[in-house]
This record gives sequence, structure tokens and C-alpha cells, in this order.
Amino acid sequence: MELLGTVIGVTVKSLIFIIVMFLAAAYLTLLERKFAGHVQQRPGPLHVGPHGFLQPIADALKVLTKEDLVPDSVDKVLFYMASLLAFVPAIMILAVVPFGEPFTIFGLEIKPYVTDLNIAILLALAFGSLSIYGVIFAGWASNSKYPMIGGLRKAAVLIGYEVALGFAMVGPIMQAGSFSLREIVEAQSGMWFIIPNILAFVVIIFAILAETGRTPFDVQEAEAELVGGYVTEYTGMKFGLFPLAEWYIATFVLSAIAVILFFGGWQPLPLMGWLPIPDIIWFFIKVFLLFMFFLWVHWTLPRYRVDQITELAWKVMLPLALANILVVALWIIFIG
Amino acid sequence: MHLWADLEELKLLEGKFSDIQIEKTENFTSITVKKEDLLNALGFLKEDLGYKMFIDLTAVDYYPQEPRFLCVYILFSPDKKKRIAVKCWAENDSVPSVISLWKGAKWAEREVYDLFGIKFEGHNNLVRMFLWEGYKYHPLRKDFPKEGIQEVYLPSLNLRPEEIPAHNYSPYHTYVPTMEELEKTQKSRMEKRSQIVLNWGPLHPGTHGTIWFLFDMEGETIKNCEIILGQLHRGIEKLAEDLTYTQIIPYTDRMDYISALCSQVAYVNTVEKLLGVEPPEKAKWIRTMMCELQRINSHLLWLGTYALDLGALTIFLYAFREREKIMDIIEGIAGIRLNSTYIRIGGLSKDLPEGALDVIKHFLQDFPEKLDEYETILTKNRIWLRRNLNIGIVNKEQVYQYGLTGVVARSAGVPYDIRMLQPTDAYDKVDFDIPLGRVGDCYDRYLIRMEEMRQSLRIIEQCVEKIEKLKDDKHISTENPYVLPTLDEVFNSIESMVKDFNLRIYGEQAPEGEIYMSGENPRGELGFYIVSKGDGKPYRIKIRSGAFYNLQIFPELIKGRTVADAVALLGSLDPVVGETDR
Repeated sequence: MELLGTVIGVTVKSLIFIIVMFLAAAYLTLLERKFAGHVQQRPGPLHVGPHGFLQPIADALKVLTKEDLVPDSVDKVLFYMASLLAFVPAIMILAVVPFGEPFTIFGLEIKPYVTDLNIAILLALAFGSLSIYGVIFAGWASNSKYPMIGGLRKAAVLIGYEVALGFAMVGPIMQAGSFSLREIVEAQSGMWFIIPNILAFVVIIFAILAETGRTPFDVQEAEAELVGGYVTEYTGMKFGLFPLAEWYIATFVLSAIAVILFFGGWQPLPLMGWLPIPDIIWFFIKVFLLFMFFLWVHWTLPRYRVDQITELAWKVMLPLALANILVVALWIIFIG
Repeated sequence: MHLWADLEELKLLEGKFSDIQIEKTENFTSITVKKEDLLNALGFLKEDLGYKMFIDLTAVDYYPQEPRFLCVYILFSPDKKKRIAVKCWAENDSVPSVISLWKGAKWAEREVYDLFGIKFEGHNNLVRMFLWEGYKYHPLRKDFPKEGIQEVYLPSLNLRPEEIPAHNYSPYHTYVPTMEELEKTQKSRMEKRSQIVLNWGPLHPGTHGTIWFLFDMEGETIKNCEIILGQLHRGIEKLAEDLTYTQIIPYTDRMDYISALCSQVAYVNTVEKLLGVEPPEKAKWIRTMMCELQRINSHLLWLGTYALDLGALTIFLYAFREREKIMDIIEGIAGIRLNSTYIRIGGLSKDLPEGALDVIKHFLQDFPEKLDEYETILTKNRIWLRRNLNIGIVNKEQVYQYGLTGVVARSAGVPYDIRMLQPTDAYDKVDFDIPLGRVGDCYDRYLIRMEEMRQSLRIIEQCVEKIEKLKDDKHISTENPYVLPTLDEVFNSIESMVKDFNLRIYGEQAPEGEIYMSGENPRGELGFYIVSKGDGKPYRIKIRSGAFYNLQIFPELIKGRTVADAVALLGSLDPVVGETDR
């Protein structure tokens, strides 16, 4: 009986997470378009619904009802699998992301996370790497030159930043002494981990921009060079899943992980603990701010060349991540 | 200002080569050499007399004379600042190739071969320039009809309801290329040696128009590159042979459509020199002002698309915000935004409207701040620097070899600016500087274009000041017999009406002779070589496109670099396909 309850609880929670994430991703597109519009001194979407508020719904309907073309020469299995491979792992990271402390309503204890694994951070890393296969498969399966170059570029970038990303996460883990994201947040009740881990945070910013394919690291879909990169041959919702997964869900989820690792998760901002704001809202405020930071970067900077990114990853980011481990080790020894 | 070589200098040639004819007129100086002496004479001019910069090569068809083709080489001496033209009759329809002297002659010779059918002995890959392999004709020959030879049966031309007589076309069409022929064209341009051949274009967001690049790639490194032009080839030179001088003005708009006014001014100045027309003072100042407005407009479009190519999406809209204001100013003055056929032989089509100068003054106040804004985002941005520094370095030798002009030449430190060398209109009366580069890379070209916008502002400021004083002057000198009268005059006097009729029907009867003159377009030297036989129509017009010669260096600069650099390099060379293909 207890097992059944757990299964039902987890299923319901997963469904809520997935549906909310879908809706959130849809409205993140609106957020991005409005933000980009204002950065570029234009209004952005304005005509569907009040102040363009229904634009994501219209976009979703349009993408879903598009004709689903599959070119003759593609590898059909991989071609279909690629768009799922890009999308599913991105959303699966959500399983280990805690959004707040457990709380009680009507005598029922609700945990605002699907599961609290003791290897959560490793799982998140693994799923993050898996979603890259979607891009590489898409490039390969399209049997076309531009997508292939796009996919290979992504592979080259991946090898660079994944190593640095792994090492950058070591610092907070060392300080918290745990792989569980919830315990890492709890360990930050005194001070946020950003203080000794500032180098790691820089590396993480770089890695998130690279993983989600945002400027300055959007080499795999650089439209001026590669038309659309790896999505050139895709249409309809198969196409729609890529930007949805990469630009919105992945950016959002990775921002959440960065907030958990460095900014104390759902803990209130310093000196603002007295405000009657629930911890889940604090968490979303922080994630939102970080997300907006990525948008800001995306709509301001030019793009690197692919060899410059790998150079940056190996020559700058990897040493920075390693230096961070040393700094944190010294911090633990001398300060605590 | 006279830009042609002195007679004393040419006398040196007479001693060295037998059978040389020297022709010196006010507008043109040429020497005619025999076919056997051509290479030696050009070599002597290049090595000993310093005429080392290749400007243009063209041909004129004197059908049915024998030999029928006359090749014309135009050279420039950067030290003496003089031009010289060398002519050579193509006996047996062939002349020796000069690619051993100037690499820039490679495309020019292919173009002449394509359009006239003249063979160049010793050319390493003499294939067609604009048209496709398998096309049987050479369209610029005088015996090729202007409407083309209609030989392909295309029934779709007549698949319309029969009751509409206006749509009853002839089902025959001029020859169109087939897929096999295009494939053959591609094979003839470049053979595959490395891993993959990437067709970059003709329809590609990075190519700024319809240029077809072939990249032979090893991974992402480009080992070999070839360019196929001609997707936008409309045969403007052929069309112009059937039009009066005034009717050609709209065609000049449609070559470099981004800087239409500059092209018009370059063309009209050439024709005015040929006809001996002097425009009124006010028209000259307005032309200069409009040219510089157009230059800022063109550079802004360049900045926006260049930044877009390198991934900075926002600059594009920032640049277009300012460009839109200039567009509105041009629209207010000329009545048309893009292809404003505003300049006329002998002046302008309309006077400045009321308040135009106020708007321009307001723009002058507003714009420097915006320029600083662009520079804040880009100039010292580390990513921008890494994408631009040391990419596509052009040196002085290449400038002379390829006949590079405009910003590309100036980035290599060659002070080649037609506005200074041969000032037309009011350029000799305004004060401005020419920025020069040190390295010759993409970043230098970026900085030069930004600085040129500032210099253009300076010129416009001086023009506005002057035009305000000339408020009540005429904008067109209609008293000249070659200049079309204004509408007002046509309606009110019978003499003007007769003159208008004559000029429109028979054209401006230009005196016999030839002329080469050029203007400084935002994309390099836009030159017009006109041969007149005393008719109302030009016998031959050759348009020397700056973008065509600038693009020619692209394959050499891109070798060993990646596709990402190709975008940056192409953007900084800034070709406009309407002008390269004509």
C-alpha cells in the first residue's frame, strides 16, 4: 500500500513538473522575444492577445500543424530519434532538481521535488551530456552537409566544455560534502557557495552558454555560415523541439542547478529573510534573474569561432576550474 | 582634374616598340600596340614606368571591321597618380593573356571571353564568367540581337486563358540552362581534391545576394575556393547600347542598389564630361551631399549585416534604425527610397524641397552619438577583436595586382580614393580626411568604414552650409543643348518642347570619342568607359565594378581558413551582386 502511494505520488508529481515545464517553456519564448525586442528597441510580439500574451499558444499551434516533411535520403530512425534525444534528457534533469523545502498542506507533506537522489548532480551532468547526442545525431542523420558540419562543431565544443563543467562542480560538492542537490542547498544556510567558488561560477556560465547553444557559442546553428546548422532539414514540431529543449528548458534547468550550487537555492536573498515570501518563490526569482542574464548575453555579443571556443575551453576554463578546486580546498582547511 | 599620362612619357615607348600609335584627347589617352608587342609593352609600363595597378580590361566590337575586336587595358600609376590606356586589336579573335603580369586580369579576361568570345592565349582556366558552360553565344557582340535568340520551346509561357489576348506570348524563349549544364559549369570551375565540396550559395544567408561559392574542404578548413558569378547578370552593358544616355541612369541605380545615388553621380559625371556639360554650382553641392548621405546609408547597411554575420544580432537593428532616417531623407528629396533616379545630365531632377536641409541638420546632430553607441558595443569587444584581427590580410602588392579599390585598398594603406585623385562635383571644395589602415585585415576595414561615416558627416555639414547660401540658384542648367528642359519649361515654351522631343527621341548626340571616368562608390571605384560614335546612344559602355575586382581576391585570402572566417572576410570585402554581375 505504501509502495502504491509512492508510485502515485511520484507519477502525479512528474506529470505536474512536465506540464508546468512545457507551459513555462512556451512562455519563456515570449519572455525571450519581448526581451530581445526591447534590447533591439522594437516592441516584440504585440498583436496576438493583450500585448502579445497569447503569442506562444499561436506559435505552438502553428508548429504542431505544420506539414511534417522528411527528406528521402535521411536515416529515418536516427532522424526521428534525434529530436527526442535532444528534448527528453533536458526535461529529465528536472527529476532531481529540488524547488524548495518540504511543506505541509492539510496534513499532507509535499516535497517540491520528484526525488532526492544522493547522486543528483552526477545524474544531471549525465543527462546534460546525453542531450548533446540529439544534436550530433540530427547532424549525422540529415545526410546533408550543413547539418553535418553543425553537428560536428557541437561535438567539438562538447568535448571542451564538459570537462571544465565537471571540474567546476567539484568545488560546491567538496564544501557540502554531498552529491545531493538538497543537501548542497542546506549546506549554504550560513554563506552561499559563490564566495569561494567564484571561478567555478565563471566556468559554469561559460558551460551553460555553450551547452544551450546561445551566443557567443552558438556555432552549431550559426545561420550566416550554416543556414540553420543541424536543424536545416527539420520541419514542424520535430524542428520545434530543438530550440524548445536547448534554448528554454535546458537554459532554465541549468540556471536552476547553477542557483542551487552557488546562490543558496531557495534561501532568501541576504538581509531579506524577514519578507513573507515562500522559499519556492525565492528560488524562482533567482532562476529568473540568471535566465535573464543569459538572454542579455545572447542578444548583445557576437559569436566565437569554433576553434576559439575549444581553445577557450581547454586553455582558460579548464585551468580556472582546477584552480577553483585548489582555492576551495584551502578555504576548507583554513576557514572551515 | 586631369588624370591621364603625359605625352613625354609615352614618347619613351615609341623608341622601344615599333608601330605604336599614341592618341591623346582631353578625356582619354591611349596607346595602340601590336598584338606581338602587347605583353612587352604592358610589362614595360608596369615595371619601368610605374603603371603597376590594374584598373580594367574590356573589349569593343567593331563589327563588321576586320579584325573586329579591340581590347582596352586601363592601368594606373600610384606614384604619379596617372592613368594610361593600352589598346590592342585582337587578330584572329585572340590576344595574349596578361595574368602573368596582373592576377586581377584573370576574371576580367574570363568576362571578355564570355561576352565577346576573344581567346586569351596562356590563361590557366579560360571558362565563362557569368554565363554557363554550354551557352553557344557571346552576347556583347554586335551581331547578337538585343532581344536575344529565342529558340527554346517553353509551352508554359502560353498556358493562360486564351480570351486574354495580352497574355498570348510567343512560346519561344531565349536559351535557359539545364541542370546538367549547371553541373558541368560547376565541374569546370573547380575539381574536388579534398573531403567534401560545399556549395555555399547561390541562395545562402551568408553570401549577401546570389553568389555561388564552391568550398573544397578538409574538415572545416577550406583548401580551395572558387566563385561562380552570374546569377544576377542582366546584361546592363548590352541593354545600354540601345538606350539614350538619359535612359541609362535608372540602370545604374540597379547595379549597386545599396548606393544608388553614388552610381548615378559617377555615371552622370562621365557623360557630362563626354558631352561637355557643366552643371550649376548648386547641383554640384547637392550631389556631393547626397553621395555622402548614401555612403553613410551604405556603410550602415554593411555594419548591420556584417555584425549579423558574426552573430551580433542587435547591431543590425540599431544600424537600420539610423539607416531608416537617411532613407526617409532621400525619399523626401528624390521621391524614391532605394533606386532614386535623382541625378540628371546637367543637374538634378528636382530642387531640394523646403525643410530638407533642416532635417539633414537634425540628423547631423543626432548621428555622432549613435556612431559612438555602435563603437561601444563592437570596437573593443574581445570577441569582435578575435573574429576580425588578422583575418584576410591584404597587402599593397595585392592591391596593385588585383586592382582592389575603395575600403579594401585603403585598409592596406594605399591612399586610393577617387574623391581625392579626380575630384568631381564639390569634392575639391570640401575638407575631409581619408582614413588608411596599417595591417589590411577585417578589423582595419571595419575601423575605416566607421571613420568614413564620420568624415561623410563632415562633408555633409559643409555642403549644407554652402547650399543654404545658394538657395535661389537653379538646380539644372537647361540652357545647355544637351540637357533636358524641366517640365515647367516644356509646358510654357515651344522651343523647350522641341528640344525635349529631340533629346528624348534621338538622344544626346555625343561627340565622337571615348572616355573613362570613375567615382568613389562605397564599394570601390565605379568606372564607366564609354565609346561614342556620334549617335544619341553609346556605342559601348563598360562598367568597371569595384565589387567585382574586390571579390576576386576572396579565393586567395580564404585558403587555409574556416567557413566561419569566410563569412567575416566576405562581409568585410562587401560585394553587392547587382554590381559584380551587372
